[in-house]
Amino acid sequence: MKSIDGQKFAEMVQMGAHHLKQNADYVDSLNVFPVPDGDTGTNMNLSMTSGAKETAANSSGHLGRTSQALSKGLLMGARGNSGVILSQLFRGFGKAVEDKETLTAGEFAAALKYGVETAYKAVMKPVEGTILTVAREAAQQAVETAAESDDLIQVMEATVAEAKQSLKRTPDLLPVLKEVGVVDSGGQGLVYVYEGFLASLKGEELPERTVVLSMDELVSAEHHRSVQGFMDTADIQYGYCTEFMVRFEEDKTKDHPFDETQFRQQLSELGDSLLVISDEEIAKVHIHTEDPGDALSYGQTFGSLINIKIENMRQQHMDIVGSPASGNAGKEPAAKHPYAIVTVALGSGIAELLRSIGASYVIEGGQTMNPSTEDIVKAIREVGAERVLILPNNKNIILAAEQAAELAGIEAAVVPTKTVPEGLAAILAFNPEAQVSANAKTMTAAAASVKTGQVTTAVRDTTIDNVSIHKDDYMAIADGKITIATPSLETTMKALIGELITEDDEIVTIIYGEDVSEKEAEEMAAYIEGQSSNVEIELYSGRQPLYPYILSVE
Amino acid sequence: MSIQLENDYGKIDITNDVIARVTGEATVECYGVVGMASKHQIRDGLTEILRKENFSRGVIVRNAGADMQIDLYIIVGYGTKITEVAYQVQSKVQYTLKKILGLTIGAVNIYVQGVRVTNL
Repeated sequence: MKSIDGQKFAEMVQMGAHHLKQNADYVDSLNVFPVPDGDTGTNMNLSMTSGAKETAANSSGHLGRTSQALSKGLLMGARGNSGVILSQLFRGFGKAVEDKETLTAGEFAAALKYGVETAYKAVMKPVEGTILTVAREAAQQAVETAAESDDLIQVMEATVAEAKQSLKRTPDLLPVLKEVGVVDSGGQGLVYVYEGFLASLKGEELPERTVVLSMDELVSAEHHRSVQGFMDTADIQYGYCTEFMVRFEEDKTKDHPFDETQFRQQLSELGDSLLVISDEEIAKVHIHTEDPGDALSYGQTFGSLINIKIENMRQQHMDIVGSPASGNAGKEPAAKHPYAIVTVALGSGIAELLRSIGASYVIEGGQTMNPSTEDIVKAIREVGAERVLILPNNKNIILAAEQAAELAGIEAAVVPTKTVPEGLAAILAFNPEAQVSANAKTMTAAAASVKTGQVTTAVRDTTIDNVSIHKDDYMAIADGKITIATPSLETTMKALIGELITEDDEIVTIIYGEDVSEKEAEEMAAYIEGQSSNVEIELYSGRQPLYPYILSVE
Repeated sequence: MSIQLENDYGKIDITNDVIARVTGEATVECYGVVGMASKHQIRDGLTEILRKENFSRGVIVRNAGADMQIDLYIIVGYGTKITEVAYQVQSKVQYTLKKILGLTIGAVNIYVQGVRVTNL
């Protein structure tokens, strides 16, 4: 198949939604992340059903319009984390094919990829090992296959295969999944949607239920879920975890046939966390109950019992409480900087502060704090980025930074920050999605919105800005202008504070240098608080030489 | 301001700062949240997106004994269903605080302070 139109795509959507619906309860049973409330399948199904309804009501031969309908239906019906992510995936897909009458294999793959990019944009800290991972890896595979084949069925086959593989790998990425022994529920839901797409392309029917349910997987997810609620052993209402299998026997089922729904109904009266799986010969049961005997007796009315296991959960819980649960903090992936911020700082504390808010590389200037063009170029090379923004944080380095930007050999721009506070404000305004030039513009504007105050000592007698200065005086510099010089650090600081902080200011950041003790800095903060009660004060040890205090006011 | 728990061995004191930090971390892991906003009135209409260092600035813990309330100031991505994202944040925050601090929160109030539009 070389291309699909809107009509065909609408059919694919219906099939995907139907297949997900068929298996929604299985998806529910896998749900342990982010909150193990067992509703992922339900939520995804509601979201997808809403999308399919809207698609059916508005489908046309025009593929773009059909996709728009899907995207709108998903957005309106989005439920739960996975539902919101699903709606984003297809919102991006819809955007990519907006004005297309029909879709080729290559365009389809590209649209899947664009959907993934859109979905990743709406989260600050994407958690890998979830539906996002499955969608990303599947789309990547789609693009690779489409590069070699123009057959839509082949591309979709490869997409489904990779989605399944990726789903299998989710426990390696998300520790809580491994702990419980399940794959990611949202990812599983997406696999069903894609399987439906594929079946529709091939014109095949899908079996009503594809899962050969693995009891172990279900049981461990169920246990994980039920354990969450118990802070205290006394909270356990049903004390025995009971598992058994019934091998059906003809003489018993002859006049008392086995019906799974009814069987489940009967057992559910006895406890919770009930799981029942059956085929023609055997039923598997898992239940938490106070009366294991009753459950077993009921099972026996259909045949003989095999593989019986009963555990006292209160005892187990007592044993566990007090032992720390294993943490599930995922390892931070190694940082890559396709888009880097290179900046300059004096003092290790300031360098740390800059790094903590997003600087990829901080050049620590020496006493003179003036790195050369070459130093900056070296730093850019070391970061190994594709695009870079350079923040000099010092009037005297701007020129060197501009030369470095020209020599860098990659896309680079200078945000002409003159002080550390300006640099901090600029980094906070950085948007990793924006172009270099756009970032340089907004970051420069952000830097301008901050007032900087600095105190440093004079090296000789002089007069600047009509202020007479004596050697070793403490000079206050407010936004580059020297306003006062006195022999006392405290007097100078207080004058600077009076000069700098106005009624409208909200946040004052004090970065104190290596010559100022923490106690002195705290006293200074207390003084500012006394002067203007409505500002919030943040204190950092910058450990910078030459400047006892650097103030940022915004 | 803090939460005090007492058992046979002594007291446990959890400061609001800890609660705020935990809440902030849980929030930014939620899908659809692209930032935390400062609770301060925003000047120039420019919402400052808080970085990791000070997520807790977008979190206010109001402590009224057992009825603790949390206010969260978030920024969401354009094109997501905002009501649903907010609901997910509420549920995740409740769950996380219960799980790691054993706290039950009276209310988690979400203030959506902005929507970030990204143009690809």
